[in-house]
Amino acid sequence: MSAVGTLLAELFAEPGSGWIAAGLLLPVGAALLVALLGWVARSANLRDGATVVVGVASAATVLRLWGPVSSGERPRWLLWSFAPGGHLEFVVEPLGLVFATVASVLWVVTSVYAFGYMRGHHEEHQTRFFCCFAIAIGAAIGVAFAGNLLTLFLFYELLTFSTFPLVTHHQTTAARRAGRVYFGILLSTSVGLFLLAIVWTWWLTGTTDFRPGGILAGTSPGVLVALLLLYGYGIGKAALMPAHLWLPAAMVAPTPVSALLHAVAVVKAGVFSVLKVVTMIFGVDTLRGAMDRVAWGDVLIWIGCFTVLSASIVALRQDNLKRRLAYSTIGQLAYIVLGAAVASQIAAQGAALHIVTHAVGKITLFFCAGAIYVGAHKTEISTMRGIGWRMPFTMGAFFVGSLSIIGLPPLAGAWSKWGLILGASQAGEWLVVATLAASSLLSVGYLLPVVLQAFAPRQGGAAGGEDAGVQEAPLLCVVPLCLTALLCVVLFFWPTPFTDLLSGFAGGPP
Amino acid sequence: MAAESVGQGLQQVALSTAFDVHFPALEVVLPLVAAPLCFLFRSRAFARILSAAVAWLTFGVALVLLQKVLAEGTVRYPLGGWAAPYGIEYRVTVAGAWVILVVSLVAALTLLFDSRGSASRLAPERRYLYYSAFLLCLAGLLGMAITGDLFNIFVFLEISSLSSYALIALGRDRRALMASYSYLIMGTIGGGFFMIGVGLLYQMTGTLNVEDMAQRLPAVLDTRTVLVGFAFLLVGLSIKLAVFPLHQWLPNAYTFAPPRVSAFLAGTATKVSYYVMAEVVFVLFGAHFVFTEIGLGAVLMPLSVAAMFVGSLAAIYQADLRRLLAYSSIGQLGYMTLGLSLANVEGLTSGLVHVFNHGVTKSGLFLVVACVGYRTGRTTVRSMAGLGTRMPATSLAFVIGGMSLIGVPGTAGFVSKWELIRGALAAERLWLAAVVLVSSLLAVVYVWRVVEMIYFGRPEGLESLGRDGEPVREAPFSMLLPTLILVAATVVFGLWSDPTLSVARSAAVELLGGAGG
Amino acid sequence: MADERGPVVDDEPPMRMREQIVLQVGGRLLTPFILLFALYVQFHGDFGPGGGFQAGVLFAAALVLFGLLFGVDRVQQVIPVSVSEVMIAVGVLLYAGVGVTTLLLGSAFLDYDALSAEHGQHWGILLVEAGVGIAVAATMTRLYYAFGSLHPDSEPAAGEHGE
Repeated sequence: MSAVGTLLAELFAEPGSGWIAAGLLLPVGAALLVALLGWVARSANLRDGATVVVGVASAATVLRLWGPVSSGERPRWLLWSFAPGGHLEFVVEPLGLVFATVASVLWVVTSVYAFGYMRGHHEEHQTRFFCCFAIAIGAAIGVAFAGNLLTLFLFYELLTFSTFPLVTHHQTTAARRAGRVYFGILLSTSVGLFLLAIVWTWWLTGTTDFRPGGILAGTSPGVLVALLLLYGYGIGKAALMPAHLWLPAAMVAPTPVSALLHAVAVVKAGVFSVLKVVTMIFGVDTLRGAMDRVAWGDVLIWIGCFTVLSASIVALRQDNLKRRLAYSTIGQLAYIVLGAAVASQIAAQGAALHIVTHAVGKITLFFCAGAIYVGAHKTEISTMRGIGWRMPFTMGAFFVGSLSIIGLPPLAGAWSKWGLILGASQAGEWLVVATLAASSLLSVGYLLPVVLQAFAPRQGGAAGGEDAGVQEAPLLCVVPLCLTALLCVVLFFWPTPFTDLLSGFAGGPP
Repeated sequence: MAAESVGQGLQQVALSTAFDVHFPALEVVLPLVAAPLCFLFRSRAFARILSAAVAWLTFGVALVLLQKVLAEGTVRYPLGGWAAPYGIEYRVTVAGAWVILVVSLVAALTLLFDSRGSASRLAPERRYLYYSAFLLCLAGLLGMAITGDLFNIFVFLEISSLSSYALIALGRDRRALMASYSYLIMGTIGGGFFMIGVGLLYQMTGTLNVEDMAQRLPAVLDTRTVLVGFAFLLVGLSIKLAVFPLHQWLPNAYTFAPPRVSAFLAGTATKVSYYVMAEVVFVLFGAHFVFTEIGLGAVLMPLSVAAMFVGSLAAIYQADLRRLLAYSSIGQLGYMTLGLSLANVEGLTSGLVHVFNHGVTKSGLFLVVACVGYRTGRTTVRSMAGLGTRMPATSLAFVIGGMSLIGVPGTAGFVSKWELIRGALAAERLWLAAVVLVSSLLAVVYVWRVVEMIYFGRPEGLESLGRDGEPVREAPFSMLLPTLILVAATVVFGLWSDPTLSVARSAAVELLGGAGG
Repeated sequence: MADERGPVVDDEPPMRMREQIVLQVGGRLLTPFILLFALYVQFHGDFGPGGGFQAGVLFAAALVLFGLLFGVDRVQQVIPVSVSEVMIAVGVLLYAGVGVTTLLLGSAFLDYDALSAEHGQHWGILLVEAGVGIAVAATMTRLYYAFGSLHPDSEPAAGEHGE
C-alpha cells in the first residue's frame, strides 16, 4: 500500500503530471468500467451511472489544470521513449487545455443525452457504444495534451479506430458503406500525408516537439508551404474539400455520436491539430514570412475559402437535417483552418475560440436534430412544418444554436467570428474577410428556414393528423440541449476565461 | 571411469557459473538432440512436451546470449576447440542473437499452441514425426544465424529447408503435396545456388570462415569469379527470402501447410534468410562493394517496391485467409529488403526490427486463422463472417494484428515503418517515403476486407455451423493463449519500442561496420 | 514397318531383375565386397580420405543393389524398416551425444580432448564418424524402401513392420 502511496505522491507532486495522467486515464477507466458493468454485471443503470461519475471526474481533472496553466506553468508528463525523434510525452498548454475542456465537459452532457436517446430508441449494443465513446474521449484528450507530433498522431489514429464502431453502430449495409468512406478517407489521409509531413518535419528539424513560436524557422519557404498543404490535407479530420466526404457519410451514426464526435471530438481534433501545427510547429511569424515570399503561398487560404463557400451552398440544398448540419460543420471547420492559414496571432486566437463556440453551438443543433427524431420521428426538414409548437424547448434551443453559428450577438459565436475577421483584415487577407461575410449570409440561409418551418402556422385541419404523435423528447434529451443553448448565451457575456487563457498563445517563445 | 568423469563434469556444470560459454553450441544442439529423441520414443505426448520444453529452453538461451552479446560484444565459440579460421566457429553477433531470439520465441509460442490433432495428414500414432521435423527445422534456423562459417550456413540451410518441405507436405489438404514439391524445387535451386557461390568464393580465398573470407576478399574482388560467386549467393538467398519475382513458392507453401507450421515458418524462415543476406552483403562483401561498385541498390530497391505493391495487391484479391496473409508476407518482406537496399543504419535497423515485429505479428495472425479454422472448419475470408460476436477474442486479435500489418501507430508495425521512412529520408529519397506510406494503404484494404467480414458479415445457410456441425464458439484456451500473447506483443512493442529498436540499431551498426563498410 | 514393330514390343516380356542371371550372380558376388569396402572407408576416415558419409553411402549402395536384384522384401528381412528408422536417430544421437558428452566434461562442443588426454582425438572421431555412417546408411536405405516398396504411400501402415 505504501508503495502505491509513494508512487501516487510522486506522480502528483510533480506539477500537473498526475492530473494529466488522471485526465487521460479516467476515460480509459470509464471504458473498462462500462465494459465490466455492461457485459459482466449486465446492469444498464450502473453502467450509465458509472459513465457520468467518471465523466464528471475527468472533466474536474481537466478543469483542475486551468490554475497552473493560466499562471504560466506548462505541466508535462513524459511516459516513455516511443520511437527515436519522439517520446510519448504530454504537455498542457492553453490551446490544448481549451480543447480538452470542451471535449471532457461536453462528454458529460452528451452522455446524459445519449442515455435518453439510446434508451428512447431501444438501440442494441449500448455497452459497446459507451465503451467506445469513452475511449474516443480519452483519445481526444490525448490529442489535446500531446507534447509532440508523434504522440498527437498516435491518439489521432486511436480516435479514428475507436469511433469506427460508433459510426457503424447499426451494422447495416449502409453503415458498412459509410464506415468504408469514413475509415478510408481518414486513414489514407493520415497515413499517406500526415505521417509523411511529420517525418519530413522531423527530418528537417530533428524533433517533433511542439514549441511556442514553432520549430521550423529557417526552412525554405517553398518547403514550408508544401508542408502546410501536407498537414492541411493530411489532417483529414479537418474536412477540407475534397477530404470532407467522410463527414456526411458518418452521419449514419446515432445522433449522440454525430453530436459529440462530429461536432466536438473528431472534427475538433482535426482543426485543433491544424491550429496547433501552425502555431507550434511552423510558428505564425515563420509561416507568414514564407507565405509572402512564395507565389502560391496562399494556397491553403484559397482552399479554405472554397470549402467554406461550397459547403455552405451545398448545405442550402440538403433536406435531411443531419446532412445539412454536417455540411454546415464542414464550412465552420474551414473557418478555423482559415484562422490558422492566415497566420496572424489574432486570427489564431479567434480560431481557437471558434473551437469552443462552434462546439457549443453545433452540439446544440445536433442534440435538437436527435430530439426531433426521437420525439417526432422526422429527419427531413420539409416534413417539420409546425413541429416547433409541439416541441417548443427543442426548437427554441435550435434557434439559439443557429444564431450562435451564424455569429450574431448576444451569442458566443459572435466573439470568435469577430476575432477571425479582425485577424484576417489585419493580415490584409481580404478574400478571407469577404468569404466569412458571405458565409454568414449563407448560414442564415440554411439554418433559419428550419426554424421558420418549425414555427410556421400549421395548415388548417392538419392539427390532429400526422402531427398527432409529435411531442417533446424525453427529459434526458431535452435538458442537455437546453443546457448547451444556455451555454451559448453565457459564453457571450462571460468569455473571459477562454480569452484570457488564449491570449498570446500563438506568440513567440515566452 | 567414463561414467565417473561425466558425473564430475555434471557437478562442475552445476557449480561453475561459466557454463554459459557453451550457450552458442547449446542453442543448436538442444533441438538437434531432441529431434531424434522424439523419433526414438515414438510417443506423441512425449514429443509434444519435449519439443515445447526445448523450444522454451532455446528461447531462454537466446535471451542470455543476446544480453551477453550486448554487454561484451561478439561471442565466439570454436567447435571442437579448433580455433577459427581452421575450425568451424560459432559467432554470435548482435544481429544473430536478435534473429535467434525471434526464431526461438516464435517456435516456443507456436509449440505452446495446442493444435488439437487432425491438423496434419499423419496418422495419430505417427505424429511424433511432426515434432521431430519441427525441431530439426528449428535447429537449422538457429544454426544459420549462429554459425560463422559459410559452408555451415549451407548445411543448416538445408537442414531447415528439408524439414520444412516435410512439414509443409503434412498439410491436410492434398494440395499441400504440390505446394511442398514446388517449394522443394525452388528451395533446392536456392540452396544449390548458395552452395555454388560458396564454392566459388572458397576457390578464390581458400577459407570458409565469414570473417576470414571478408579479410581476404578485397584482394580478389575485381575477379569475375568473385562477382559470379556473389551473384549465386545473392540469388540463392533471394529465393529463400522470397524476394519479389522469386516468391512464387511462398503463397502455396503457407496456405496448405499445417496451421502451426504456417505460423512458425511465416515468422521465422524468411527472417533468417534475411539475416544471412545482410551478413553476406555487409560483412562479407561490404556495403561499398555491393552498393557503390556494383550498384545492387538499383536492382534491389525497385524489386522491393514492386514486392510491396504486388504482394499487397494480390492479398486484396485472395479468398483464403492464409493465402491472404502469405501475400501480405511478400509485401512485408519488401519493406525489409527495401531497408536493406538503403544501406544506411536507419534502413537496416528498420529491416532488423521488422524481423521481430513482423515475425510476431504474422505468426499471431496465422495462429488466429488456426483458431478460426479449428472452430469453423474453414479458413476462407467468408468463414470469418459474423465471428465478432461468436469468437470475440479471436476477432479482436485479428483486428490488432491487422493494424500492425497496416502500421497503425501504437502497434509494432508502425515502429518498423517509422524507421524505414527515416532510412528513406536519410538516403534523401522523399519519394520513397511517400511510396512506403502509399503502399501501406493497400494493407488497409486487405485487412479491412476481413475486419468488415468479421463485424458486418452475416453467415449464410450452413456457414453458421462450425466444424462437425457444432455451433461456432470461442477457441479453447490452450489455443487462445499463445495467439493472444503474440498479438499482445505487437501492441506492447509498438508502444514500448525502446528495447526492440535499440537492439536492432546496434545490430545494424555492427553489420554496417563490417569489412569494407 | 508399322506391322513389325508392334508385335515385337508386345512379345517381349517385361524385364525382371530376378531372371537376369548374370546380374544376380555378379551382384551376389559384389555385395560383400562393397560392404567391406564401406567399412574400410569408414575406418580409414580417421587417417585419410574417407569417413562416415562416404562409407554410409557405400553401405547403403550395397543394400540397394541387393534389393534391386532380389527384391526389397529380402533386404527388409535383414534390415527391417523399423530398424532403419531407429538407426537414423541412433546415428544422429551418437554424433550429438559425443558433443554433449564433451560439453558435460567441461570442454567445448566436440572437443575430443575432453574424452581422454591421450586417445581423445582418436575415440572422438571414431564415434562421430560411426554416428555419421550409421545415420547416412540408414537414411539412404529408408529412402530406398520408401520408393522401392510396393506401397504407393511411402508411409507403411502402422504395425505392419512390428512397430
